[in-house]
Amino acid sequence: MKVTIAAVAIAASYCILRAQEGSRTVWDGVFTEAQARRGQEHYNQHCAACHGDTLTGGDMSPALVGGQFLSNWNGLTLDDLFERNRKTMPPGRPGRLSREVNADILAFLLSANEFPAGRTELTQDAKHLKQIRIEATRPVRSDKQ
Amino acid sequence: MRSRCLLLWFTGLVWMTNAAWGQYRAKDTEWPSYAADVSGTRYRPLDQVNASNFNKLEVAWRFKTDNLGSVPEYKLEGTPLMVNGVLYATAGTRRSIIALDPATGELLWVHVEKEGERGMNAVRQLSGRGLAYWSDGKEERILFLTPGYRLIALDAKTGLRIGSFGKNGAVDLKLEIDQNIDLITGEIGLQAAPVVAKDTVIIGAAFREGFTPKSLRNNKGHIRGYDVRTGKRLWIFHTVPMKGELGYDTWLNGSAEYTGNTGVWTQITADEQLGLVYLPVETPTSDFFGGHRPGDNVFAESLVCVDLKTGERKWHFQLVHHPLWNMDNSSAPILADITVDGRAIKAVAVPSKQGFLYVFDRVTGKPVWPIEERPVEKGDVPGEWYSPTQPFPTKPPAYSRNGVSINDLIDFTPALRDEARTLVSRYKIGPIFTPPVLSKVDGPLGTLSLGTSSGGTNWPGGSYDPETHIVYAYACNACVSSVGLVPPPNKEFSDINYIFGTAGREIRRTSGPGEYAGADLATAARATAAGRGGAAAATRGGGGFGLTVQGLPLIKPPYATISAISLDKGEIVWQSPHGDTPDAVRNHPALKGLKIPRTGQTGFNIGTLVTKTLVIAGDGQVTTTPEHPRGAMLRAYNKATGREVGAVFIPAPQSGSPMTYMLKGKQYVVVAVSGGPYSGEYIAFSLPDEEIARPSQAQNNVPRR
Repeated sequence: MKVTIAAVAIAASYCILRAQEGSRTVWDGVFTEAQARRGQEHYNQHCAACHGDTLTGGDMSPALVGGQFLSNWNGLTLDDLFERNRKTMPPGRPGRLSREVNADILAFLLSANEFPAGRTELTQDAKHLKQIRIEATRPVRSDKQ
Repeated sequence: MRSRCLLLWFTGLVWMTNAAWGQYRAKDTEWPSYAADVSGTRYRPLDQVNASNFNKLEVAWRFKTDNLGSVPEYKLEGTPLMVNGVLYATAGTRRSIIALDPATGELLWVHVEKEGERGMNAVRQLSGRGLAYWSDGKEERILFLTPGYRLIALDAKTGLRIGSFGKNGAVDLKLEIDQNIDLITGEIGLQAAPVVAKDTVIIGAAFREGFTPKSLRNNKGHIRGYDVRTGKRLWIFHTVPMKGELGYDTWLNGSAEYTGNTGVWTQITADEQLGLVYLPVETPTSDFFGGHRPGDNVFAESLVCVDLKTGERKWHFQLVHHPLWNMDNSSAPILADITVDGRAIKAVAVPSKQGFLYVFDRVTGKPVWPIEERPVEKGDVPGEWYSPTQPFPTKPPAYSRNGVSINDLIDFTPALRDEARTLVSRYKIGPIFTPPVLSKVDGPLGTLSLGTSSGGTNWPGGSYDPETHIVYAYACNACVSSVGLVPPPNKEFSDINYIFGTAGREIRRTSGPGEYAGADLATAARATAAGRGGAAAATRGGGGFGLTVQGLPLIKPPYATISAISLDKGEIVWQSPHGDTPDAVRNHPALKGLKIPRTGQTGFNIGTLVTKTLVIAGDGQVTTTPEHPRGAMLRAYNKATGREVGAVFIPAPQSGSPMTYMLKGKQYVVVAVSGGPYSGEYIAFSLPDEEIARPSQAQNNVPRR
């Protein structure tokens, strides 16, 4: 019984922690249009050769827009996506793009997936990125744009 | 270049468990070859895991591959081997070889080859798809190909190179290939596993992506056989014939002299009894424009049967004349002893991107059912040469869509169909073999095609049940792509008259699978040379890109299926959609209130496993559903009916084909998963002990027949 209670308590704490981690979502205007435009320039330079001008991917590289992309990341945080890009992209030169450039590219990916722009730029700070959850569909009770 | 072997743990290894070691022969409780056997079946007659208990499978062990290479891999495509009490697999961005305890996943040894500059230039990087095992009853060897295209022989017990094989355990495959290939930068490699039949190792060849090649001249993908004991080259088969050889005159204007590619990048199959090898040959240079290689181009996109000991051609059948659609032979040929109209036939069946299952007498090469030459549309790309006819199998019927008509478009609602109709009005559509077009801004932008690059069955191939004579094949039924041709921006980019591209968009070099992604990282300068530069493309935000309608797939469901095809009858027995309905479809506002049956999921990398009673395959996409959290499912179907009988959670899509084995009375199913946020991992499933202890499940390692 004690084990069960402990397990429930741990699970509850985890859920609260996750909720805090992702207290905002990508629907809350977490980047600016200017940042997405900068990100597009970086994307064209560093990413488009494999993922395509239209982000739809190639035979061997995944699309970065659309249902399958969003399903992959649904429920994770922007930090997860940021770190995936920062540590492994672009192939052959992983980790060579600055955090600032990675944040701009992420802003472009969000823009290309039709998430709304807002008034503040997307941060490159991990602890803030961890607080923004990727939700494929707009949360029902989102109180912001 | 140096090799290192780290012998991590060896004491207590389980070699002694096999009493028949002195005369070792693989049992059907083991998985000794990439596709279970060299016949390409992916079949094991095991049934401890069955319809009644599949849902009770639990994770027996996991092996994360992140640190086998300088960066984690997100494209783990391997299928391990399990033989004589040890599991062997390729893993990680450096394509390390690992030996694991098949009961626990504990690492026994790892073998690493560091290739430096050669590895950086490798055309097929990352972990590859598998390796080969060989034993003469005394010695046991593991054979594999490095990304840099060297064949390595290891002592299966220690993971150390076998010094007497080749040069200190390695054979340089860029040599002895009847052409000069630079050892460091020369374009050739392979992801597929080598095949060992009797004492011959058979090696295929792959190249960079053929959409936008730099030149109409390229290296040729000749196929070779090597002595498994010495590493000596035994034979070579010229997939592009040399002057005086059969087929040379099907390359007009001397184009056989300079045209390349035409390798075998998928699995090769062999009949050890008949002493024959079956080569599924790919597309020549380049994928969608053949104006520089007029003629039928034999042996491109042909099934070629050669002698196992000499490489001498026995027969061939060209499945596509003058290839223009990238209908590479994608799948391992499947050997099948079948009975058609009371007649016993030793057959070979080849699944394909174009959804045809081609079936031949594997001794004579004669089609089991007539394959008819039918007229096809002639295109109008300047300088192109068109074959007036193409081969059409009369049986079995196509098991996936291979052309695009209005009737194939999304039809959840009339409004969505109308939108789709408007979208496709900018493209050329038509049945299989509709030729590519020059891309024009005002249309057509390209020829919409299914059954070309990503359609139908791709590298995982099919499976085969030798008891019922049924082939099981996964196929993408909605992997639509646009094939448009544009002139290259300049001769430096490419000397080919037309390459793959879309009018109005910047032309970019298409990268191949794993190119610039391996552990031996390319230099920044080289990666940049992969085809960048020029003005920024006119991209826009908004997610409405590509061949989708309001974010929904342009082509109607089912998006992918598993088909069961009787080789005795030449008929499809059943077809089931494979994979959950994607989130983007299930949750789409335009479909609210509609009852949509399971659609399956698009994708080209799903392989199937067949057991005594089940067909097993994992989802190729991640979903979040009321039934499971974000992840995918490994599914089991009743192989007689196609009905799903169980599913267990996997944290990421299946990225390598599943395999199975029995060990100490327990059946294991191992599958490679990776993709999106999830790096490569092998996961082994087995039943809880109490489930196995039930009277009907007990017994030993011998399967019930």
